[in-house]
Amino acid sequence: MTDAKKPQDDRLSEAEAIERAKGGDAEAFEVLYNLHKRRVYSLCLRMTANTAQAEDLTQEAFLQLFRKIATFRGESAFSTWLHRMSVNVVLMHLRKKGLPVVSLEETIETEEETPRKELGAQDPVLAGSINRLQLQRAIDDLPPGYRTIFVLHDVEGYEHNEIAGMVGCSIGNSKSQLHKARMKLREFLKTSRAEKAAKP
Amino acid sequence: MNCAEFQRILPDIIDEGHTPEQEAHLRSCYICSNLISDLTAISKEAQLLQASEEPNPRVWNSIEIALRREGLIRQPLRDSEVRPLSRRWNLAWLVPVAAALLVAFGMITYQRGVSRQTAQQPPVMPVSQGTLIPSGGDDQLLLEAVGTHSPTMRAAYETNLRNVNAYIHDAEDQASADPNDEEARQSLMNAYQEKAMVYEMALNRSLP
Repeated sequence: MTDAKKPQDDRLSEAEAIERAKGGDAEAFEVLYNLHKRRVYSLCLRMTANTAQAEDLTQEAFLQLFRKIATFRGESAFSTWLHRMSVNVVLMHLRKKGLPVVSLEETIETEEETPRKELGAQDPVLAGSINRLQLQRAIDDLPPGYRTIFVLHDVEGYEHNEIAGMVGCSIGNSKSQLHKARMKLREFLKTSRAEKAAKP
Repeated sequence: MNCAEFQRILPDIIDEGHTPEQEAHLRSCYICSNLISDLTAISKEAQLLQASEEPNPRVWNSIEIALRREGLIRQPLRDSEVRPLSRRWNLAWLVPVAAALLVAFGMITYQRGVSRQTAQQPPVMPVSQGTLIPSGGDDQLLLEAVGTHSPTMRAAYETNLRNVNAYIHDAEDQASADPNDEEARQSLMNAYQEKAMVYEMALNRSLP
């Protein structure tokens, strides 16, 4: 069995690996997996906040890709194709589980939703003091709908029009959800920082 | 422009340029400027999370097993791989025995886990990261066979067996913790199937 940590031919370029994978070459599949595994797995993990589900979805995404690799013609970047497939796999999983892909609060703006002017002492800004682990935990704690939009936009770099197409919402909703996700994260990070500062 | 007006349109403008009126408000309002600064910092830090996690090696193991099962991996046979039938039979018994042992072991362990939810009895075969199951003997026999005929592959198979045993161990823990957990039971059966596939692949590689 090949070892995913030590591909036997790591000098194989992506293009060469794709062509050899079409012919059923085991090493070629492994090269392609190693090239993209972190991006795919991180996406799955960020969007599900569950290690076991992320592993299953990563496996599913790569299997779907490898089953269809014979049809890849190179019109778009391979990574783009794989990444889009991975997003679809995760979104389908969330829908199957009955989890909201987009927050249910998307179109309702109550008085609570209208922005409040923050009062009180001037808090120091977060820039330069964000703990990555805390940010990861904060993302995991976001409601699923907010988390999906935040991960797709701020982590993975999709534009709002792309996100709207993928999750089935409007561009305005995507922007609104993203903003709310960021506001929740800000609240969480500030609270964490305050708690940490209060400890003896 | 006041803060309420500025923050109301913030979702639409935060990632784009600001009008002179908006800029003027930001210059005069530390609350809104801090808010913009914080949200921008969060967004920038989030980009660093892309591709930041490494999947467990068992993910690749599972993918490769599935690819072989579906016939997507097609390794050409070399002349040296034509083996006398008699020598295949010496080790061929390993595969069905291993598969049967694994399935039986899985069924027994699952059933005992359901029937004695509060019992303090130890599991049928205690498993830890470093041990091999279903019994150390079968795994050791397999590794010896691999080592005899394909010495360079022994270490790789040892690693793979260790990984799949750890997978089985984790899945058993999950299933034991909640015998009614369908996903945990399915994970456990998947883990056993994966081990059976490792045996099958090892046999195919190790025969002279």
